[in-house]
Amino acid sequence: MATLAPTTQAPARRPRDPRRIRRILWSAVAIIAALIWVFPVYWMVSSSLLPNRTLMSFIPTFFPGAETTFANYRNVVADGSFFSALGMSVSITLIVVVCCLIFAFLAAIAISRYKFRGRKSFVLAVLLVQMLPAEGLFIAQYKMISSVGLLNSIIGVSVIYIAAVVPFTIWMLRGFVAGIPAELEEAAMVDGLSRPQAFMRITFPLLAPGLVASGVFAFLQAWNEFTVALVILQSNSSQTLPLWLRGFIQNSASREIDWGQVMASSTLVAVPVIIFFLIVQGRMTSGLVGGAVKG
Amino acid sequence: MTTVQASPAERDTAPATPPTQRSSKVPHALILPAVIILLIGMGYPLIWQIVTSTQKFGLSSQFSGVAPFVGIDNYVTLFTDPVIWAVVGRSLLFCIVTAAITVIWGGLFALLMKAAGKVGRLILQICLLLAWSMPVVAAMTVWIWLFDYRRGVVNYLLNMLPGVEMDRYNWLDTPGTFFLVASIIVVWMSVPFVAFSLYAGLTQVSDEVMEAAQLDGSNGWQRVRFIILPMIRPVLMIVLLLQLIWDLRVFAQIQMLQDAGSGAGEFDLLGTYIYKLGTGGGDFGMASAVSIFVLAITIAISWYYVRSLLKEDEN
Amino acid sequence: MKKKLGALALITASALALTSCAGNGGGASQLPDSDPESKNITLWLMGPDTPDTLREYLTDEYKKATGGKLTIEQQDWGDVVAKLTTSLPDEKNTPDVVEIGNTQSPTFTTAGAFTDLTDMYDELGGENLLQSFVEAGAVDGKNYALPYYFGSRYNFYRKDIWAAQGKTVPTTLEEFNATVAELRTDDMSGFYLGGSDWRNAISWVFANGGELAVQKDGEWESTLSDPKTIEGLTQFQELFKNASNAPATEYDSAPWVNLNNNDATGKPEAATIIAPGWAHWSIGDPVTVKDPETGEDKPGAEWNDETFGTFVLPGVDGGAAPVFAGGSNIAISAASTKQEAAKELMRIIFSPEYQKMLGESGMGPANMEYTDSLGDDQFAQALVESAANSKLTPAAPGWSAIEGKKILEEFYGKIAAGGDVIELAKEYDAKITPLLNSN
Repeated sequence: MATLAPTTQAPARRPRDPRRIRRILWSAVAIIAALIWVFPVYWMVSSSLLPNRTLMSFIPTFFPGAETTFANYRNVVADGSFFSALGMSVSITLIVVVCCLIFAFLAAIAISRYKFRGRKSFVLAVLLVQMLPAEGLFIAQYKMISSVGLLNSIIGVSVIYIAAVVPFTIWMLRGFVAGIPAELEEAAMVDGLSRPQAFMRITFPLLAPGLVASGVFAFLQAWNEFTVALVILQSNSSQTLPLWLRGFIQNSASREIDWGQVMASSTLVAVPVIIFFLIVQGRMTSGLVGGAVKG
Repeated sequence: MTTVQASPAERDTAPATPPTQRSSKVPHALILPAVIILLIGMGYPLIWQIVTSTQKFGLSSQFSGVAPFVGIDNYVTLFTDPVIWAVVGRSLLFCIVTAAITVIWGGLFALLMKAAGKVGRLILQICLLLAWSMPVVAAMTVWIWLFDYRRGVVNYLLNMLPGVEMDRYNWLDTPGTFFLVASIIVVWMSVPFVAFSLYAGLTQVSDEVMEAAQLDGSNGWQRVRFIILPMIRPVLMIVLLLQLIWDLRVFAQIQMLQDAGSGAGEFDLLGTYIYKLGTGGGDFGMASAVSIFVLAITIAISWYYVRSLLKEDEN
Repeated sequence: MKKKLGALALITASALALTSCAGNGGGASQLPDSDPESKNITLWLMGPDTPDTLREYLTDEYKKATGGKLTIEQQDWGDVVAKLTTSLPDEKNTPDVVEIGNTQSPTFTTAGAFTDLTDMYDELGGENLLQSFVEAGAVDGKNYALPYYFGSRYNFYRKDIWAAQGKTVPTTLEEFNATVAELRTDDMSGFYLGGSDWRNAISWVFANGGELAVQKDGEWESTLSDPKTIEGLTQFQELFKNASNAPATEYDSAPWVNLNNNDATGKPEAATIIAPGWAHWSIGDPVTVKDPETGEDKPGAEWNDETFGTFVLPGVDGGAAPVFAGGSNIAISAASTKQEAAKELMRIIFSPEYQKMLGESGMGPANMEYTDSLGDDQFAQALVESAANSKLTPAAPGWSAIEGKKILEEFYGKIAAGGDVIELAKEYDAKITPLLNSN
């Protein structure tokens, strides 16, 4: 790459304007695309602020304006079941994310940095288990969890989630580890660092974006899942947020769907994810650029 | 161009030459936690599924514990049932089209993030994150409502276009438009993941390389084809494979759309079909056999990827 | 039954051979009856239909009677089958008493999910219990699941619109079909009926003397091709085409919202609907009500006798047409280790006090002696009148598979879309018959 270095000055000699104009143009395209993509989210939030009768009208209300009401939210959280479901969901998701990242990180290092007996079988097994359709598995999963007395428990459902998510995270992390040349680490070792030191100082920071991306993935899987939760968490007191939301929609449907409340509860389920994203956002986006491998 | 192309090639081979001098205990220790959790979480269900697929396992088997062994009868039924083949064909078509659109769209967004200025990029990223953060149950509720035939915003807006008469158009009425809607929703949900993954890959492509290529007179498409694609190939392949696997077994989205539209057989994909066989119909033997069959299809789809992976290993 | 329990314990044990740990919940099963723990039982109720006051009554009374704690878990209709399939056979986690949909009763009963209650049958109400529901929970003359409550369907209509068109309440089914067809406009259904909504649409089959399936020599057979059934199906096809603007694929709708004036147009979407009795709470003039729990203002509906009315779907020769009854059954899980305590709860549920409480909440009480408790307003009258003539789906072992696979939704949807009734009936008979007998 060194041979290219002199040419990097080149753009400075060219007139700046066409480049800037092009950037602005692309930014405009990006913003339009962004607005289209976020519309369903906007629609959910804006509907959650409207009374149901306005929502049932045939003419959509695009801006809540004067009709804005927080009554939907107050009604939804009134019985407290939201908060117990929130607690369940947060606990399960945290366990799943932490365990997945640790297990997958170790395994990804093993398969991309080492040759060992059984490596191929492991790689194949990881690939295969994630391909099994989950819809037929629930009886077996139930029997297994029930047999160890972990029904309706955070641990029981977490074990199944981790097993379901870990293959994907191994794959993602493996891609990121593969993107970091082992030579970097070796060069550092030549400079006198021990292997763990070299790993911690060189490889790990470069892997951070990959860990964040895999963590986000594990987070969303654990947060959203409801078909396994449905059979493993049968008790009302151990509901997760997706179950709570589903129950809310179904109960509402058996009388008359109160769309305002449904949208408010949907928003409430999404908010923790948004908060989580805001926390890791720096790592996810601009952080990625900083951590990128510059040849 | 030669110097430029050397770089991805070099990066591609880098992970293929791992330091192997270490004692073999270390890698085994590293994979141990993952192996244990997979054995616990997936091992028993997988074995159960295989065993059940050779049994006549109905709802009463759950209560009596009696499930006669029928050998390959369930598989014979499966292969001779035209309904299943229709579902398989439909699912494959849906999965390939949806995954392809998702990956292309995600790739375009990743390029757009790179091309746009800081503000544009940030807004796009935040909006994609917001879309990504919508829980499936919540997202489906909103989308179903957007496409509602009477109160949906989609019909309302389309209807305002001159010459378009979409009032009360029921999108979920016929399989064609039903799967179009399903595909739009699945693409919408999956694009953020693809866009961010590919963007992460793109940031590993150094600016110097790109600018050098530009100076060498390559156009935009050539740069994508000869520099970007080879460099992000590992990420791209994983993302495409994952999308194919997920879209083949898509379940929750289709089931919720069916609740809003029609539950008839021609609206089924493999996920809902297996669910109807097992939970709905109580025929867990057949449901297991179809699950195993889906597993085989998935392996077939990903065979190219698996093979190239194994080959890479042998080097 | 003892034998069955033993067998169950055996499979549970062998299926769970992996484990050596007894599990915290499971420990209770080994305790003698005198232990207070063995009095603590769980009841699964479906959906929000049973009001809170009734739930409190049950827990209080149960505590008084046994000293034990009754835990009530609410389950959702949409997902309950997966839960019942997994937990009912599981001795360690089964609910002790379960409410179950009347159409799911035959399937779970024949699968061996429930305890034989024949010796308690007379004590719990015997002949006074709603017999069509009793049959849905009986196998070979033994009673397993008993009725919990019933609902029924009747018509709600817009008096103002009917009057403006000079229509009067019809007295025969034919007259009804013709009247609602004449009321239909492009913007308004004369009679709003989803094309795949077979639970409402089978009334036309029943009214014409048809059946969905019959039992011959112990074997169930789908009878969609029976001339009487065909007559009902053909009438439905005509009715859907001429009177309803609903989509052919709609099967699970809330039709009552169509009877109220829409905010945007100031007009209703339908002049007539058929719905379960409790729909009347959602029908009426728009008003703002206070949410009893939160004190928040929220939009509601207030019944107005000037604008809205009810009538029972008329039969072919007048009187009331047989409609499909809503409601559910209740049973004791065969795998429960607390059979005596569970039976104690059944005694409370079938006590006159609780039966009356059901009626006062607008739910048809299982014991027909107490239907007076429903009151005597027009809704109660319509409920009792239509329920007296109501029918259930066939009590075949495989019936819940027909529902689970949405086969009737598919069949009705195709008829509504204008398919050939005779051809379709033949095709679906062939599909349904094998399913009916397997379990």
